[in-house]
Amino acid sequence: MTDALSPTAERAASSKSAWAVLHRLNMTTWFGVAIVAALILAAILAPLLATHDPDAQNIIMYLSPPGPDNILGTDQFGRDIFSRLLFGARYSLTIGFLAIVVALIIGSLIGMVAGYAGGRTDIILMQIMDVVLAFPSLILGLALVALMGATLTNIVIAIAFTAIPAFARIARAGVMTQRDREYVQACHAMGFSNPRILFRHILPSILPEIMVMASLWMATAVRTEASLAFIGLGLAPPTPTWGGMVREGFDNILSSFHLALFPSLAILLLVLALNLIGDGLRDAIDPRLKDAS
Amino acid sequence: MSHSRRLILGAVAALLACTAFTALPAEAAKTELRVGAASADVGNLDPHFSSSTSDRTIVAWVYGALVRFAPGSTDPSTIEGDLAESWEATDNNLVWTFKLRKGVQWQHGYGEVTADDVVFSLQKSADAKRSAYASDYSAFKTVEAVDPSTVRITLSNQVPSMLGLLTNYAGGFIICRKAYEERGEGFTRNPVGFGPFQLESTEPGVAINFKAHDGYFRGKPKIEKIIYRFLNAAAGRDLAFASGEVDVVAGTIDQRWLQRMKATPGAIVDIFDPAELSVLHLNRNQKPFDNIKVRQAIAYAVDPAQIAQFRGAEFTRVSKSVIPSNNLGLNPEPGLLPHDPAKAKALLAEAGFPDGITIKMISSQLPSYAQTDQILQAQLAKSGIKLDLQPVEHATWHQMIRKDLSPIVDYSAARFPVANTYLTQFYYSKSAIGQPGQVTNFSHCDVADKQIEAARTETDPKKQVELWQEAQKLIVADFCAVPLTETAQAWARTDKLEWGFDLKGSLSLGPLVTEQAHFKD
Repeated sequence: MTDALSPTAERAASSKSAWAVLHRLNMTTWFGVAIVAALILAAILAPLLATHDPDAQNIIMYLSPPGPDNILGTDQFGRDIFSRLLFGARYSLTIGFLAIVVALIIGSLIGMVAGYAGGRTDIILMQIMDVVLAFPSLILGLALVALMGATLTNIVIAIAFTAIPAFARIARAGVMTQRDREYVQACHAMGFSNPRILFRHILPSILPEIMVMASLWMATAVRTEASLAFIGLGLAPPTPTWGGMVREGFDNILSSFHLALFPSLAILLLVLALNLIGDGLRDAIDPRLKDAS
Repeated sequence: MSHSRRLILGAVAALLACTAFTALPAEAAKTELRVGAASADVGNLDPHFSSSTSDRTIVAWVYGALVRFAPGSTDPSTIEGDLAESWEATDNNLVWTFKLRKGVQWQHGYGEVTADDVVFSLQKSADAKRSAYASDYSAFKTVEAVDPSTVRITLSNQVPSMLGLLTNYAGGFIICRKAYEERGEGFTRNPVGFGPFQLESTEPGVAINFKAHDGYFRGKPKIEKIIYRFLNAAAGRDLAFASGEVDVVAGTIDQRWLQRMKATPGAIVDIFDPAELSVLHLNRNQKPFDNIKVRQAIAYAVDPAQIAQFRGAEFTRVSKSVIPSNNLGLNPEPGLLPHDPAKAKALLAEAGFPDGITIKMISSQLPSYAQTDQILQAQLAKSGIKLDLQPVEHATWHQMIRKDLSPIVDYSAARFPVANTYLTQFYYSKSAIGQPGQVTNFSHCDVADKQIEAARTETDPKKQVELWQEAQKLIVADFCAVPLTETAQAWARTDKLEWGFDLKGSLSLGPLVTEQAHFKD
């Protein structure tokens, strides 16, 4: 009964249905999906794929170039770079994913409430978001991690905090375009509660845009995590994070550039893949943007 | 060719020759020294508080002392007059009188150095509220100005190597009283000494600029300006050196760095004393180190030979005792334990930790510390000891460990090479963190107090050494400190730069830049 009252939402939903969107994805997007899927698989199967214990030091073999024993060489403590990359993928993906899920939920909620309520609530909430947005995400993340300590949870919170305004803004914009539509007015006429209208009727219409934003921001989250680790605010040693590996490799870059090269390439690959997915989703959901570009 | 034409050509040739000669001064030796430091920023330039390697290096350029080590040496037998022209002591070595040079000028126009400044400085050094090295001066009964150029120090008891306390090192530096009182807290970043270089400006996190102290009593320095750049990243420092952006850089204690630098055309590597002793200090007042078996387990679990191998034999050797091996009074066989992870595990089980133990350790991000701590982390893990490293910036680390925030502290240091100094600062109960005279006794060790105190007043040199050796044995047996390695200082410089002396040692842990330093033409 409720769905029948929102034909516009229905049409929007159908044009942006998961199946339709998947159908419209181009090859480069699928390439991105394949890379991310491969990295997720590598992270899950890290204990099986790793050739060495990622934390095991072998000082005799330190700074070895890539070879048969260590396919990507060893770091300054003789640890196997390939194995550390595999385990490092777990942290990069986990932090990137969790941070964006947290930011998506909180940011979307704030944006939807602001957009739906309007007036003073909207002004206050969005001005708070503007204040947060005024700080460069890396600087804000850096300050929060320095304040709270560099644990997995705190890094997720810090990165999520920097991403919340982006989700709030897009959710608010989406709600504002929907709130005066006929199906919403019909919902009001039927006496539906505001939360019901907001979450059961408006949210499905704006969700695709939010998901596109999430995929693009996940790339940012991965970069922020790597940047924090590079400047020494990542997870404590010997945890193998990609940013931390680049940082440690940087001290030996003049004699053994492979230490920093491979984790840098891994970050590049993941960020590129996430951006490809984000761009592809955006094009598929809103073809006008694709045509415009 | 006509005569007139030849004349014109000759004139042009003469003009060119003149131009060439007038251009010569532009190719003269440069007078600006650019230094690449292994530090993120300046810490505290009050010499009585400076503790980081970088700060110690700088203060030795700014300040002077009553006496000094001959430049390039850390051998006490080379101690010579600095501000003091001459000195004498009574037969019982309890009253020392120093005659000061006349006309020695403070930097920044603060006038002549007087006996009053010396009295003020030494009293400050002995005051725990205004000095980190007060315990070294506890025997100073009175310091008085006999006249504007004479200072008399009366001791309550004899001290081992009295002149050592008055050298250009730590509490021995003389500061300008007027500037200290005028500048207050700002003095820590805006110092005034009578050394060869004066601070000109500071760019936080970027560089400190010094200029020659024109009124330096040994003569105007040949180097006119020093730019001390903060290049904390080792690779960044090396790149800056390779590209000629800096003339001298703090080295990385790593065999590969040494090989690379030795192969770099135009580079000279200075490896010099003092070798800093790296020690794991285990806080006996905090769990789990209040249990001697846990401390003993750590002593069995570490493998100093592996750390020395990692660093390279050119720089690093396994330590012999809980004090540096160049110290007078070393006990070469204090009873250090061999590396034995199995015994470490067994001891942990006896101590009530059969499943191992997790220990928090605040770790410096300075590469040399970060590397050692990660190696230790792997070594201890083999005995079931999980070291939970919490890396922080080096200056922050210095502050945090001085608040007892890390139950285990890896600290590298070199001190005046007489056992009393190191034993007093690191293992004497009155130097423990939290005490009024706190220095660097991170372990709260007190097992050798009796011997340390007795050795200070012992007049028989042989018995004095025996007391110091006994103290080391007791400290080792209590496992409040686990010595690891000793590592020399390493810096690289362009072969155009001459220090003006043979750099074999520098207690400031960095090269001493004196009025003699210069660039070759």
